[in-house]
Amino acid sequence: MKHISRIYTALVMVFLYAPIAVMVVYSFNASRSTSVFGGFSLKWYAELLNDSSTIEALENTLVLAVLSSLVATVLGTLSAVGIFSMKKKWAKTAAMTVTNIPMMNPDIVTGISLMLLFVFVGQMVGSKNSLGFGTMLIAHITFNLPYVILSVLPKLRQTDHHLAEAAQDLGCTPFMAFFKVILPSIMPGVFSGLMMAFTLSLDDFVISYFTTGPDFQTLPIKIFSMTKRRVTPDMYALSTLIFLSVLLLLILSNVAQARSEKRREGAKA
Amino acid sequence: MTNENIVELKNITVTFDGEKILDRINLAIKDKEFVTLLGPSGCGKTTTLRVIAGFVSPTEGDILFDGKAVNHLPPHKRQVNTIFQRYALFPHLNVFENIAFGLRVKKVPEAEIKKQVTDMLKLVNLSGYEKRNIAKLSGGQQQRVAIARAIINRPKVLLLDEPLAALDLKLRKDMQVELKNIQKSLGITFIFVTHDQEEALSMSDTVVVMNEGVIQQIGTPQDIYNEPKNAFVADFIGESNILDGVMKEDFLTSFSGREFTCLDSGFARNERVDIVVRPEDVDIVPEKDAMLLGEVTSVTFLGVHYEIIVDIGGFKWMIQTTDEQKVGDKVGLYIEPDAIHVMKKSKYSGMYGDYSTFSDEIEHLSDLEEDEN
Repeated sequence: MKHISRIYTALVMVFLYAPIAVMVVYSFNASRSTSVFGGFSLKWYAELLNDSSTIEALENTLVLAVLSSLVATVLGTLSAVGIFSMKKKWAKTAAMTVTNIPMMNPDIVTGISLMLLFVFVGQMVGSKNSLGFGTMLIAHITFNLPYVILSVLPKLRQTDHHLAEAAQDLGCTPFMAFFKVILPSIMPGVFSGLMMAFTLSLDDFVISYFTTGPDFQTLPIKIFSMTKRRVTPDMYALSTLIFLSVLLLLILSNVAQARSEKRREGAKA
Repeated sequence: MTNENIVELKNITVTFDGEKILDRINLAIKDKEFVTLLGPSGCGKTTTLRVIAGFVSPTEGDILFDGKAVNHLPPHKRQVNTIFQRYALFPHLNVFENIAFGLRVKKVPEAEIKKQVTDMLKLVNLSGYEKRNIAKLSGGQQQRVAIARAIINRPKVLLLDEPLAALDLKLRKDMQVELKNIQKSLGITFIFVTHDQEEALSMSDTVVVMNEGVIQQIGTPQDIYNEPKNAFVADFIGESNILDGVMKEDFLTSFSGREFTCLDSGFARNERVDIVVRPEDVDIVPEKDAMLLGEVTSVTFLGVHYEIIVDIGGFKWMIQTTDEQKVGDKVGLYIEPDAIHVMKKSKYSGMYGDYSTFSDEIEHLSDLEEDEN
């Protein structure tokens, strides 16, 4: 029995990680072939760095991910606080439903509807080419928002609701009480919302594809357009780099989480 | 007359969703007084406290501090501090920073903060705990931090919302003494909320008994115990036998089928009244000297004394005695005139004070029902 479960686990691991391993290996392939490994080489990485359009797309992706996740985190945290303090139950339920729909909605529907809206509004204000960085930023903030709200809300529920009152009792205005007491105690939720928004924005393709214009390309869009012609090994190199950055991000956030848990456990002892 | 009332509530009514939580509360609290709001859960005592702190605004009525209305003053501008039921310490700050919180908000200079917090830690016996994480403290220590955090701001009035409810019995007794000492040495007015009648009697200068959003009685602990105004107060504070009686004339009353001399007067001739006799005020005597005769139906040994239930003409009395009795014994009872307290009839008449269904379990069940209502 023990052997079977081990083999099973190993198989799961293989299916999950073999593709990535193959990709990483081939990103170091000296030859162009996808079937023969022609020796170790960094030439695809060099080529990647020399390709200015790819580097620009990378920059665009990062700027977009940072900006959209930050804005979504600020807006999402405020919305979560607002939803949390709603007194009427039906209003709360309505707000939560409105929050959930964009998450359940297929990306393609969100993408097309956002595009339509942007083009429509663009025409109203008389702009010929309304799609671009601005529309894409709005789109990314839109689909990031629910994830931030959903990661902040549970933290608000865990927070002792007397904390804000205690702060006010000690001389804080309600506004100060939020920053001095509530925000620190919901910070883990805010942070994980930020991380989630950042990674979602980083790898979004479908919605980005519909809401961007010809002047603004992100990495996923660029890679997709390249695969239409032929897949070159420098894409393996790029994907490997992205994979490694995501891995690093994951490790960092896990370490941070483990630390805060350790602190809390130490506190209990 | 000089106005020495530091806090005054005038006709305070609070309504939530059409339900009256507080009904025309009138209360005057003197400077440096230790006032306790006492009542079962849901009686409105915590709401009263929150009205004073500014977290609940009254639907009607005025709150006065030093004679000035503060109805529209937000909590952070009021000269009061609160100790919350579960302390509400800030989990992301250590002991020092929790206590320093109020001073930092007021932008007190750093050196001054350090000095005051150190003094405060000494006062609450927590010197050396400055850097300690809040979650690493015991319940009693957290309680002390909460006290220090509030009184470092030198409030004129300290509001305490069941501050000892989370502590075990031994610690609670110690903290009662400690709180009383702090109150005396700092000369701060304390408004203390509790459902524990013993705590209220032992700590307060004035006790305010509340039920169903209405003040039932205001008085010294002795007044409340010895001269309860109605059946609710008599039953809630200590144990009471409450009987249906008639006031024949001044100093003469009748209940349980015979007449008794008493010390009460000022009632109408033959007015129907409620009679309170405390279990410890009934003496067990030989049958020939007895005023009432009854049969013992239950005996509980409580260490200091026995608690026995005696059936007298169908009404079950609770009597505390140091003599051992057996179930089925015939006993004679003797009641001194000063042990009889006569009360006007109220809406609580007949609801309390009969021990015919007495058992801890049933009492507990009826408590639960009250909570739900």
